[in-house]
Amino acid sequence: MRLNAPIPGGNYTSDTRNYAWHRPPDMTDYDEAISYLIDKIDEPEQKELVFAMLGIDAHITTVVTTILMQAISKGKIGIDLAVLIAGPLARYIEIIAKDVGIKYEMGVENKDRVVITPTLLRASLGIIEQEDEVEPVPMEQPPSEAPVSGLMAMPEGEVVASEGEQTEMLGGVEEEEPEDELS
Amino acid sequence: MDFNVAVKKSIKVFLKGDMPMKTSGLKEGGLLYTPDFFDQMEEEFLEEPTDSTKAKEEELVDEA
Repeated sequence: MRLNAPIPGGNYTSDTRNYAWHRPPDMTDYDEAISYLIDKIDEPEQKELVFAMLGIDAHITTVVTTILMQAISKGKIGIDLAVLIAGPLARYIEIIAKDVGIKYEMGVENKDRVVITPTLLRASLGIIEQEDEVEPVPMEQPPSEAPVSGLMAMPEGEVVASEGEQTEMLGGVEEEEPEDELS
Repeated sequence: MDFNVAVKKSIKVFLKGDMPMKTSGLKEGGLLYTPDFFDQMEEEFLEEPTDSTKAKEEELVDEA
């Protein structure tokens, strides 16, 4: 049960006229919207922002999304039209980036896709050709067994220190037999 | 679908050379910003010398 869910019908009680995207957009024409956004991109400040974003290796798709979100939030264009004009805007940004000589990445290529090759297919199906079989690489020898006991454990073998060592460890000095004063 | 995903998809389709056909059908004379328009624009942009190149060329002409 979700107790923090919105109250059904709550949206009818709130005043949503404050949001620009809840009112009809200023532009509904495809070409008009692209012209407006191209002019907007050509403004020095916006151009700097676009180039700065490309400079930090942001994809063109990200830049376009940012610009479109701005336009939607200001009520200039609707969401549907924004999706439609994304392509032309991306192309325009690509052209200006090429013109200036900025390295860019479109961001639509699927680099993580695994290219299916015959070898990959064979491997995935478990078909291994005998000729291609490679001798198994000998496994590396496992590391020698770590000592079972801890550092502070009693060592094996001789455990009792000699009397001299014990005295030395206790900071004592072997008592010398006093010389016979008389002699 | 997420807005970012929709934008990405739209860009991908446009770069392939496809256009919103129904939208272009609504307007007489078709749409202005087509893939061909941008190809032409790219040619003009990249062939056109930049301001710095123009200035250098002018300097060379003056020196001559």
